[in-house]
Amino acid sequence: MNTTTNTTPIGRRIFSAIEGYIYLAPTLIILGVFVFYPIISSFNLSLTRVAPFGGAIRYVGLENYQRLFTEIIEGGEYWNSLRVSFLFMLGTVPTGIGISVLLAIALSYPLKRLSWFHRLLIFVPIVISSAVTGVLFRWLYNPAVGYINHWLTYVGVDPGPNWLSSKDWALTAVVLAVVWRQLGFNVIIALAGVQNIDSTYYEAAKVDGANLWHRIRHITLPLLSPTLFFLMIINVINSLQTFGEINILTDGGPGQATNTMVYAIYVDAFVGTPLRGYASAQAYILALLILFMSLVQFRGLGSRVHYS
Amino acid sequence: MSTITDTKNQQEVSESQTRSAWANLRWSDISLQVFLLTVGLIIALPIIIAIFTSFKSVTDINANPYSILPTEWTLENYRTAWNSVPFGRYLVNSAIQSSVIVFFQIAFSIMAAFAFSFLEFPGRDKIFYLILGSLMVPFQLTFIPNFITVSELPDQCMALIGESATICNSLGANTYFGLTVPFLASAFGVFLLRQFFLTLPKDLHDSARIDGAGNFRFLWQIVVPLSKGSISAFGIFAFLSAWSQYLWPLIITNEQSMRTIQIGIRFFLFDQERGVEWGPLMAGAVIVMLPTLIIFLVAQRQLVKGIAMTGLKG
Repeated sequence: MNTTTNTTPIGRRIFSAIEGYIYLAPTLIILGVFVFYPIISSFNLSLTRVAPFGGAIRYVGLENYQRLFTEIIEGGEYWNSLRVSFLFMLGTVPTGIGISVLLAIALSYPLKRLSWFHRLLIFVPIVISSAVTGVLFRWLYNPAVGYINHWLTYVGVDPGPNWLSSKDWALTAVVLAVVWRQLGFNVIIALAGVQNIDSTYYEAAKVDGANLWHRIRHITLPLLSPTLFFLMIINVINSLQTFGEINILTDGGPGQATNTMVYAIYVDAFVGTPLRGYASAQAYILALLILFMSLVQFRGLGSRVHYS
Repeated sequence: MSTITDTKNQQEVSESQTRSAWANLRWSDISLQVFLLTVGLIIALPIIIAIFTSFKSVTDINANPYSILPTEWTLENYRTAWNSVPFGRYLVNSAIQSSVIVFFQIAFSIMAAFAFSFLEFPGRDKIFYLILGSLMVPFQLTFIPNFITVSELPDQCMALIGESATICNSLGANTYFGLTVPFLASAFGVFLLRQFFLTLPKDLHDSARIDGAGNFRFLWQIVVPLSKGSISAFGIFAFLSAWSQYLWPLIITNEQSMRTIQIGIRFFLFDQERGVEWGPLMAGAVIVMLPTLIIFLVAQRQLVKGIAMTGLKG
């Protein structure tokens, strides 16, 4: 610092003008190379194809996008992964939000005892990784030794479904595992939303003689709508990005039953013969979808933080 | 809530009881306890039975697959897991990978957040929104180009400083550098710490300047000590997400000796070709989740507050 205090006022001015950039440099370099540059390079990549012999990279224009478009028209693999991603979203988003709002309302009741313990049990999956979630549920779903089918026999389901190797059940199996892992996060956000509701509304409703259901239906849920909206966007984005559980539980199968958009990108880019151009075209489409969801949510993020 | 904090705990409970959806439903106390405990146990059950199963002997698992508690507690599964794959090596790899990521994310985020909250320079706000905007770029878009970038680093390094430069070999795939480098900066961290730095009084900066302290000294001797809470909260988030990383370590390592523990447990499952040994696998899973479970138990309040405040998981 001595060097700066000893410089002339002009040198000092120049230094203070660039000093900010020095502090930003590491962050800007890393984000530049690994976030911003890929926005361009993955688009360039999506316009290329590796020649079958010799491995030379050829510029093919929009061929990869045309191929995706054809697959949508003809109901090919890409159409399937769009469909699976959509079903996965339908499976995870309403289930996750529904359960978490219910639990948040229950947790908002000021219990005198044990409320820390309930929270501990309900929140704990937030620190479990997707790899561990995959391993745990692969075990729980196992038809021979898994607990889930064993417990199902108690409610008269015997034999239970062959979760991971049945085309009809594999996606549901992944959905349940992912809903489980994300539940803690959803409950925390929902609970914060429930606790933010001004108590005077409830007092007024009490005077009007509204019962518990009426209060939840006409006060809690409507006033929770900004939180619900936020949860919906975040959960849609998360559902479009789910990877680890699929990789461990089903590897995209059986057949193509759990081959979501993300999973298809990974398989095309890294499994067998790498089709990085084709995978990048898919990544670009997926990224635009996610970007759209993020933009919708972005304004919400600003106001949330301002608020708290 | 601030009006309630100075009253006694007992009053607080009864007062907020009348002020929630639950007003005047005292009977529901017991049924709610039962409901929440049941739901909580169901949610935590996969973790609980995994932990118990990891202490069951293999014969116990085969004889009583669905009992929750072990008939006899044993460390047999941990020994089997530890000896069949290099779990020790995986742990070391994950520890190095996570601590490098956490260290640099904290350091770089502090620096950037400081620039955004205390310094003035042209384009400051535009750059801040650019960094914030990077949060919207999904990993799915960046991971293929990043894989290519990192894989080509050794060759580019050699082209730059010579074929014989052995240091170049520590930059590509299957290296700690390759595992960590895309994550050394965090837009989330910059955002979070800037939010906190903005709450610090500007006078601090002025008086430090009058005392002759440069910005660097002011940052490390005044701002950082005052922000320990926010910095450690961010550190916890950074650690949790670094430790749990899956897709990047999966593609950037193909040598067993460089796998992180998340990838290690995946291959431990996949490599058992005939009949998976669930006991050792659960022991492995417990080893993988232990660090994050401990953090959860110790820092649950901070974690929950952080998520509720920012709406982000890190």
